[in-house]
Amino acid sequence: MQTDLDRQNLRASLKEAVSSNDAAAALSATRALLSESQKTTDTIFCASRLLGMSEVFVQQLGFRKLSTFAVRSVTLEPIVPFLAIQALFAGYVLDLQLGGFGSYVDELLNPNSELVRSNSDLVLIILDIEELAGQLPELCATGRNLNVDTEIQSSIERIGQLLRTFRSNSSARVVLQGLAIPDVTALGEVADANLPFSLPVAIERVNRGLAALCGSISDCVFFDVDRVSASCGRSRWRDPRMYLASRVPVAADFFGAYAESLVRFVSPLFRPSRKVLCTDLDNTLWGGILGEDGPQGIATGSAFPGNCYLEYQQYLKQLSARGILLAAVSKNNESEVREAFSQRSADLALTLDDFVAIKIGWGEKAESIRELAKELSLGLDSFVFVDDNPMECEAIRRQLPEVEVISAPVDEPWRLTGILARRPFFDTAFVSQDDMNRVHEYKAQAQRAELEQRFENRDEFLASMEIVCTFQSALTAPLARAVQLLAKTNQFNLTTRRRSAAEVEEFASSQGGQAWAVRSRDRFGDAGVVGIALARTEGDICLIDSFLLSCRVIGRGIETAMLAQIAEQAVQDGAKRLIGEFIPTKKNAPCASFYPDHGFSQKESAGSASVFYELDLTAAPVTSPVWITVEGNQSHELSAGTVLTS
Amino acid sequence: MSSQQVPSSLRELLADIFEVAPEEITPDASAETLENWDSFRHLQAILALEGEYGIQFDPQRIPELTKVSLLQAELEKKGVAL
Repeated sequence: MQTDLDRQNLRASLKEAVSSNDAAAALSATRALLSESQKTTDTIFCASRLLGMSEVFVQQLGFRKLSTFAVRSVTLEPIVPFLAIQALFAGYVLDLQLGGFGSYVDELLNPNSELVRSNSDLVLIILDIEELAGQLPELCATGRNLNVDTEIQSSIERIGQLLRTFRSNSSARVVLQGLAIPDVTALGEVADANLPFSLPVAIERVNRGLAALCGSISDCVFFDVDRVSASCGRSRWRDPRMYLASRVPVAADFFGAYAESLVRFVSPLFRPSRKVLCTDLDNTLWGGILGEDGPQGIATGSAFPGNCYLEYQQYLKQLSARGILLAAVSKNNESEVREAFSQRSADLALTLDDFVAIKIGWGEKAESIRELAKELSLGLDSFVFVDDNPMECEAIRRQLPEVEVISAPVDEPWRLTGILARRPFFDTAFVSQDDMNRVHEYKAQAQRAELEQRFENRDEFLASMEIVCTFQSALTAPLARAVQLLAKTNQFNLTTRRRSAAEVEEFASSQGGQAWAVRSRDRFGDAGVVGIALARTEGDICLIDSFLLSCRVIGRGIETAMLAQIAEQAVQDGAKRLIGEFIPTKKNAPCASFYPDHGFSQKESAGSASVFYELDLTAAPVTSPVWITVEGNQSHELSAGTVLTS
Repeated sequence: MSSQQVPSSLRELLADIFEVAPEEITPDASAETLENWDSFRHLQAILALEGEYGIQFDPQRIPELTKVSLLQAELEKKGVAL
């Protein structure tokens, strides 16, 4: 703990940042103060100062406002300032409303409840064991009562009904908190561990069941509170005095840890994870300096300290298995690096094939990362950079502030994996088939680029690709992937509306609605779902609400095939005019001329951020490019609920 | 009574929690006189004071400590040097 004078100085610098309306300075003063002090009073001090600056965070730093409603059966009030601060640290402005103590059933079931009417972006469901599975402590008393199973099933089924009913009334993102395993029980820790129906075992199963339930409901994430409780220490997690006197679920010492963890589980619902990890080689991927120590001299392998680096390589390999792309960015001679990978292959967990890109040379690393972003068609905010050299780290922080930078601890290589693993930037609530195929897909992209160079004529090149597009209703396609695309696509995204899964379902199932997911494959591979379009026909007008395409496949005519698909369906639904909308953002300039390029004429629009375009469907049909084979679009019934009007 | 009688550290802490100016934290200020001093802010104040001064209040006494002078007396009774 620092001296009281330091504390006063840190408080003063926060006050100064607040009074000059400087969001970044206020945030860094808050970080500085709270990293020094765990005292509740300091968190309250910061929260109350920053509260008045909410709008400033949105305007200056682009933070996202989250109107949030907590459905709860416990006392969360003292934790609110901690949640507000942790949300700010993660880039969110939390506007939190707490529901009543006993009203969670009504809030979730009643279509006119305060919760449903609040129209919140996010709902937190924080219930205690009494509400989730109240019979369990008694049923688990012997550790061998078979009825425990039935009780677990019925508890999960009951919560499932609450969640599904709520989902039918609201498209808010949901975080459902699980249960923390108690530190002590009447059965005692030996029997707890050895018997099949002890309370700790039962609670673990309740948690697994709730997690599976959340996975079956759109935009819903299970919050594993037991994990944070265990990492803080189960024996100190709950303060019985405050729990029994006031139903405060967590000891005051851990309000911050609890809030940080909760925010971590919220974040993947609103923000896609980062996609690329760029790693340095010398003293990061392996120990020592290749240029000086030679391939045989670098440290990697099963013996210490090489095993520290091996552990890091294995961790990267695991990231890669679920779709995080690896790139090597190093100042070295490429031939020596290749030699090291081949000579030391038995001691390395990674091969050169595990990397989507190798950027070895003597130029600036920032330049390499910029190039890589371009080649992979990813934004710099998808990148993480790991390097042991403080100068390199600082250079990236300065030149590419969007990139997350991890400094590898050169003198303590055993710490690197832990440092990386504790950061939330690769967090995701699910892993899709496309994620698992991603590394292969990006390699195929490189092969396509190579093929393209061999053709002079673009149409011939595209024809040689043998592109097949499959149109599916977003209801039959993997919905999670569709929503992932909606959340993360920035460049070719005409309106950048981050529709939730429930909203996509609504488009797909309402009359005149269209919700298309487009899969594409070519001779090099299957890219999976690459585009989403949402539209709705009312009367003789079809309005395109959302239209987006993964930047990996832009420029192959798939966008035109999608437009043709919407137009065809719109005509079948009785539309005579197709209206396209373009909302300019910082990132979507590449698609600004999409509608004019397809024969749309611009409409007068008064004072809104949107530009509207119109196409007369009776005069100018949109046709799919000849080089694309289209599948699935004839199955009209794929778009559930659409009705033939002609 | 003047606010001078409340030690400044306690005054500022309570002012932050109840979101009022420090001058409003007089010995007589209470749940009756301060609009923000509801049962939850009370709990927040109790937890904050416990964390700040490293003491624990008796849960039976907590609901009664709804006046600045009472909080101050309780802290002094627990040996806190304000």
